[in-house]
Amino acid sequence: MPEFQVGDITLEIDEDGFIQEPDAWDEAVAKALAKTEGVDELTEEHWKLVNYLRDYYLEFGIAPMIRKLCKATGFKLKKVYELFPSGPAKGACKVAGLPKPTGCV
Amino acid sequence: MSCSCSFGDFSEGEGSIAQIKPEDQKPLPPPFDDLDEEPFFEQLSEEARNKYALLDDTIVVKIPVPATEEEEERLVNQFLSGFRKLLTAENNWTFLEPLMISLEHCAKCQTCSDACHIFEESGRHPLYRPSYRSEILRRIYFKYIKTGSTWVHGDIDLNWKTVTRLIELSYRCNLCRRCAQTCPIGVDNALLAREIRKIASQEMGIAPKELHEVGSVLQLKVGSSTGMTALVVKDNVEFIDEDTTERTGIEVETPWDKEGADILLIHNAGEIMAWPENPGAFALLFNAAGLSWTLSSDLAAYDGINYGVWYDDIQFARTALKHLEAAKRLKVKKIVVGECGHAHKAITVIADKIVTGDLNIPRESSMNILRDIVREGRIKFDKSRNDFPVTLHDPCNLVRLMGIVAPQREVIKAVVPEERFREMAPHGVDNYCCGGGSGFAIMSGLNFEHWRHRLPGRRKFRQILEAFQDEPMDIEHPKYVCAPCSNCKGQIRDIIRYYDAWETAGIYYGGLVELMVNAMEGVEPNYIDWEWR
Repeated sequence: MPEFQVGDITLEIDEDGFIQEPDAWDEAVAKALAKTEGVDELTEEHWKLVNYLRDYYLEFGIAPMIRKLCKATGFKLKKVYELFPSGPAKGACKVAGLPKPTGCV
Repeated sequence: MSCSCSFGDFSEGEGSIAQIKPEDQKPLPPPFDDLDEEPFFEQLSEEARNKYALLDDTIVVKIPVPATEEEEERLVNQFLSGFRKLLTAENNWTFLEPLMISLEHCAKCQTCSDACHIFEESGRHPLYRPSYRSEILRRIYFKYIKTGSTWVHGDIDLNWKTVTRLIELSYRCNLCRRCAQTCPIGVDNALLAREIRKIASQEMGIAPKELHEVGSVLQLKVGSSTGMTALVVKDNVEFIDEDTTERTGIEVETPWDKEGADILLIHNAGEIMAWPENPGAFALLFNAAGLSWTLSSDLAAYDGINYGVWYDDIQFARTALKHLEAAKRLKVKKIVVGECGHAHKAITVIADKIVTGDLNIPRESSMNILRDIVREGRIKFDKSRNDFPVTLHDPCNLVRLMGIVAPQREVIKAVVPEERFREMAPHGVDNYCCGGGSGFAIMSGLNFEHWRHRLPGRRKFRQILEAFQDEPMDIEHPKYVCAPCSNCKGQIRDIIRYYDAWETAGIYYGGLVELMVNAMEGVEPNYIDWEWR
């Protein structure tokens, strides 16, 4: 499995660049993952999204519905794509350290 | 085009034996007609090339290159042992008969090739002829199982390369069965592709992760391939009810586990996660039409997906039984399948071969129910609310497999102004696959997504563009591709994004029930919000 280096930590990632141990996630990891998504700086708005995804994941064990994410953050989907160009699932979830969404989504 | 895919090369060649050159592909219609402007076609990394068995420009099954001679032999022996099992009634009673017909007969007329969108869109690359894969399997059958004369049936050397390439090649087919439809003697190349996938999964433990590990296995373990447990799905559907109520001004409540309801509605759970306006619209319509219906929160019964349909009969049967047992427990009169093509194939057609007695509960397509709602006139529609160009994509499992062609058109006729609707060419039972069929839409590892858009998805994109050629191609003129199937919707979404066709040409997509609610009288306007997702 490919690896991903953040400071002194080495994390396993899958072939789509998602980290394999969601528990190993922290702010530094998020910043590093964001760079792989072409997001050089995480603004307050980025964090609002990432923190919501993170909290939801810790409570329910999966990613939230996209519309829930929009409602909770007050961001239109267009805005989510502006923040994370590969979108809520492939971009924002990756930066928040969630596993890649599965099923027909 | 670069190709060294003689049957000898298939067994002996080094690395990729076939590469697609973009300049061999036929240009798309405007405004995407400049081949040089096509999106970047990502190539496989050196690392992936060294690690996995290679066939062509992409890798999807990801079979590691064997490290020892023992591993090489094991691949060959397991393949043969799995193949032998599929040729016996006790191990393959569901598909033995069509397997034998397709194995023993082929007139080599190549009629099937002209029917295949992947072969055509590849620039007619020999590797992607539907009959090429079948011919390799057939030669293995005659030489190694029937030990017949290679002079009569053709020679092939069965080694680890043949095995791994054949398994990869079984995932270069959408299983759309357009070739089977056109074959003058009834050979089903798609069925053979799926039988190869079955050997790989059922005997060798080889299957794409998205279909198996985080697909059917996850569904049987937690209840849904999306990872939703019963608790999460109920919470999500409650949210959808509230959201739909807010957006339409009509109180929507989804019934759960209602014993004795007429209908158990089973959605593809991907709709709930990614396209909640679809299950929201179903709930609103079914309630407004006064139908007696329910969802089930039993394990796997709130997710109509059954990925076994694409690669494994055992996983298929396990999932189908879960769906039927849930229906039996609720004592419903019938199961109705939401907008999901492969779920139709699973529960209505293939399940017919495995269920007996009181598990043989009637199953029906939602297309028919929606048509009946329109016919009975219990809901009033104002077509003028759908005043935008609409085309209809036909999911293969609805049209070619089941012959469900007219119901969705009758619905469209009732909710879309006649002059706004245009058919794709061809359509109905002669349709082309969206390019996401057989699970491709949910597979994206390495560069597979690029390959999927450049080959299988290209024909559907071409058809969509052709259907809208009489319209101004810009975002100021939004156009709707109606695709009543989750898998097709996922593929059409991805290809629109790959070509940036929403921003460039105003091409948007969605299901059928969304169009219905958008036209419903008494509902707040603009249920379709044209917000990219």
